[in-house]
Amino acid sequence: MDTQWPRYMVFQQEGPDQPMVHNGTVHAPDAELAMLNARDVFVRRPEAVQLWVVLADVIFTQTQEELEKAEPVDQSTSQLVDYYVFGKFTQQAQCRHIGQVQASSPQVAVAAAIATFADKQPLWWWVFPASTVLKNESSESDPMFSAARYKTFKDQAEYPVITMMRELRAKANHKDTENTK
Amino acid sequence: MYGADVEQIAIQLNEDPQKLADFEARIARGEKIEPGDWMPAEYRRQLIRMISQHAHSEVVGMLPEGAWITRAPSLRRKLILLAKVQDEAGHGQYLYHAAETLGATREEMLDALLDGKAKYSSIFNYHTTSWADNGAIGWLVDGAAILNQTMLARCSYGPYSRAMVRICMEENFHRKQGQEMIILYSQGTPIQRAMVQDAITRWWWPTLMMFGPHDADSPNSGVLIRWGIKTRTNDELRQEFINQLVPDLQACGIVLPDPNLHYDEASGNWRTGPIDWDEFWSVLKGNGPANAERMAARRLAHADGAWVREAAAAYAAKNQQQVN
Amino acid sequence: MPFLPFVPLWREVMERTHQYALSGYLIALADDELILGHRDSEWTGHAPILEEDIAFANLALDEIGHAKLWYELAADLLGEDKTIYPDKLVYFRDAAQFRNIQLAELPKGDWAFSTLRQYLFDAFEALRLEALSQSSYTPLAEIATRIRTEELYHLRHSQAWVLRLVLGTEESGRRMQAALDALWPYARALAAPLPGEADLHAAGIVPSSAALFEHWSSEAIAFLQSANLSIPSSFIPHPSSLVDSRRVHSEYFPALIQDLQAVARLDPEAQW
Repeated sequence: MDTQWPRYMVFQQEGPDQPMVHNGTVHAPDAELAMLNARDVFVRRPEAVQLWVVLADVIFTQTQEELEKAEPVDQSTSQLVDYYVFGKFTQQAQCRHIGQVQASSPQVAVAAAIATFADKQPLWWWVFPASTVLKNESSESDPMFSAARYKTFKDQAEYPVITMMRELRAKANHKDTENTK
Repeated sequence: MYGADVEQIAIQLNEDPQKLADFEARIARGEKIEPGDWMPAEYRRQLIRMISQHAHSEVVGMLPEGAWITRAPSLRRKLILLAKVQDEAGHGQYLYHAAETLGATREEMLDALLDGKAKYSSIFNYHTTSWADNGAIGWLVDGAAILNQTMLARCSYGPYSRAMVRICMEENFHRKQGQEMIILYSQGTPIQRAMVQDAITRWWWPTLMMFGPHDADSPNSGVLIRWGIKTRTNDELRQEFINQLVPDLQACGIVLPDPNLHYDEASGNWRTGPIDWDEFWSVLKGNGPANAERMAARRLAHADGAWVREAAAAYAAKNQQQVN
Repeated sequence: MPFLPFVPLWREVMERTHQYALSGYLIALADDELILGHRDSEWTGHAPILEEDIAFANLALDEIGHAKLWYELAADLLGEDKTIYPDKLVYFRDAAQFRNIQLAELPKGDWAFSTLRQYLFDAFEALRLEALSQSSYTPLAEIATRIRTEELYHLRHSQAWVLRLVLGTEESGRRMQAALDALWPYARALAAPLPGEADLHAAGIVPSSAALFEHWSSEAIAFLQSANLSIPSSFIPHPSSLVDSRRVHSEYFPALIQDLQAVARLDPEAQW
């Protein structure tokens, strides 16, 4: 059976003081290749210090609209596991890391997140068990992230086309004046 | 509360008028619709159609330029072109992701492309016959794409809009490297100047067609504009492009292949002669110079890659069994 | 501060003969990277899945970028302009003047062939770059250190793929074994000394390829066997002797060079 492989969500940290932010998905047969694909897809430009990958199916999400319709959850305290909590705060933004809660199910994790992070009111909640995430080892950071730094030709600032056009026009004007003399 | 027009559309689309009114109010407030939110089935359908076409265009768009990577005439140009074509794969990847958030799977979308059911931008059904075509594609084709994508970066669907923001940033590199190449060659040796003139002559009209048919002949525009997917019409975008490009190309000493091209003082616009829409529809229907080749190349890569995809999946399944 | 004419330190400390020898060595090293990158780049747009189009383009970008760095260092050593000289080497040498090994120039084959070739190279490069990063010649050591970082990622990528393909399905395992059988004889040339190597090695500037090869083959054999591949019983003697293995090219090479240089040679006077 031909397949494009499962989807993994990719989270990226752009600087040491920045939160992990969702940036898209990669298709991969397993977590290790998902990590490598995430690096190749999302670190073509040098803005990463850490990557996480997690199977897309594992992530539980609720928008404000869905929360209004949601049934109350059973707050059982059995079998608590750690959940990462992410939220989208502005219309244009991606989901970013808020913190961590313990819960017995994804629904409970959202309820716990709402209680724990009462000062934060994201438009969209995302939660997933911490155990489902593959993170790159910090010892791998250089091989993972340094290559993009030297590829300065991907930077539009390398192409001074506005100046080039200005010089071209100046040259043409100069020629015109010469010709009319 | 909602207006009569909402009610009428709700009946047409078989949607709940209150939900539709709330949805349209959110768009009017500038809110982004996210995957879990309620949306009209038609909104979802139109987005999947547009986004997957857009993704296919990036993927097929790798081929005309990709063919020149091995022949790029300097190490710098080679690295630039390789990075650019790689970006196009990346953009396809981001866009398939955006469509996946609406419930479409990449398998379905690729099948639709390979079966010839899905469309992609017709511009990639033209041949790249000289090295300078890569410059023309960068400056003209990517320049045109950026105008469209800048608009889409403001669209009402969150994942599509965010993909576009990222893509636009990267596309500026694509456009500028092409423009740099055309400027330099237009001032270069006789061989380079001829090459550039020839490339622009061939790519000019197909690029103008990229914006799509005139507004009056564009069946989807109404609903796309109403729901904030498109915020400008094909003709508006095309005119802006023409106004940007004509003076710059002329400053390079390049002659555009349009005897009717003139500046209209009254409106401040450059006016072109009539676009050959027969050509547009013909290429769109699959009769362009390179349609068959492009599809053959995609099908071959997909078929040749089947054993690789299968092997990696099988390895993962075996490992999973061992863990359990 | 008084203006001093630019006299790089190394010119004073490195003997002239070594400068010349090292430039030849680096050009051969660069040729390997360029030609391998050329073959890798042929996958762009044709890979088995979109993510691998991106990954293989990355490999090609890195390899060609490394070639550029080595050519530039060679230009420095020869007192040439490093913004011009690398392109002269790439676009205006004839096929017979290239010093890459044949392993790099063989057509890309199927995904198994390209992946396995990449692994064989990456594993060797990791060792060579580690040694070069200890070179007594600092500019060389610095570049080697930087390139090595990128090559470590390549090795991780190619090892991951070799494992998956060898152990994936019956078909993929068969293809990988066939790729190994085809590549192994050519890999022998990794042991061949690069131009100028003997003197440079004696001066502590570069490692011995033969010694690297010993290390590499034990590592590669262990890895490939752990993945269930059988190592071809011996290295089949190369069609050419080891000494000549960087001078003699395969029948595929002229076409590759023609393709590589086609546009640049349309107008040798032009700036592209």
